[in-house]
Amino acid sequence: MTAAVIVALRVGVSPDVAFDAFARDIGMWWKSHPLFQLSRKGDGVLRFDPAGPDGRLVTRFDDGKEWEIGPVRHWLPGERLAFGWRLPSFRADQTTEVDVRFEAVGDETRVTVEHRGWDAIPQQHAARHGFELMLFQRRLGEHWRGLLKAMGTGL
Amino acid sequence: MGRRGRVHHEDAARRLSAALDRMLGALADPKRRRAIELLGERPRSAGELAGELGLAPPAMSRHLRALKDGGLVEDGHPDFDARVRIYSLKDGATAELKQWLAETEALWSHQLSAFKRHVEGGE
Repeated sequence: MTAAVIVALRVGVSPDVAFDAFARDIGMWWKSHPLFQLSRKGDGVLRFDPAGPDGRLVTRFDDGKEWEIGPVRHWLPGERLAFGWRLPSFRADQTTEVDVRFEAVGDETRVTVEHRGWDAIPQQHAARHGFELMLFQRRLGEHWRGLLKAMGTGL
Repeated sequence: MGRRGRVHHEDAARRLSAALDRMLGALADPKRRRAIELLGERPRSAGELAGELGLAPPAMSRHLRALKDGGLVEDGHPDFDARVRIYSLKDGATAELKQWLAETEALWSHQLSAFKRHVEGGE
């Protein structure tokens, strides 16, 4: 079973600049959200280590402990950045993947995050849920699109 | 959707047993089991199912009725077209999965907004 979340946003820079900022400055721009923290210890400071195709996404918590969120799968500057995503709260058999794409739209860049996974749900069970899940995801998408629009972020 | 699972009558056990009989009856037929597999992949119209199972439309209707009575399948109309009837497997996604989807979507909406502020020079 693969569920997917897709969130897109347009930023006023070129794909190359957007990619570099996303990958190299993630420790600067990633802001912990009070409701959606990566772990009970907060989000920590994220980094791609090393920054490149053989890297891993790692976060370092305030107490100095580190957690490997996932290995880099694709590192295509200006185009695509994909990596595994596992949080401390995940079950052992639960893996998710994040795929970030950078596409030029005029002189701006559309950044699309696709987060898919949730393979831990047994096949038998997950197979039943196609339609409701589809509707649910669509509603969720509409909800966030509305919210982002309201924030004036110009999806 | 999600209508099941709230049985609060005294004869719940008896009705549950009858429902189980209907469900097992619905699953007793190989064509219907194949239909369940196909619907597990994604929702489909009766016509699509009939084509894939090599059944005439009246036979397909009978099977779909048995699957509906068995509580395995439900039908509905997609938002874009009220004339189309789409069949899908019944029962909802788990609350846990929904929660994951909602939280993950919220997380990335939040983080992408933060990224936008950063990359556009706000911070």
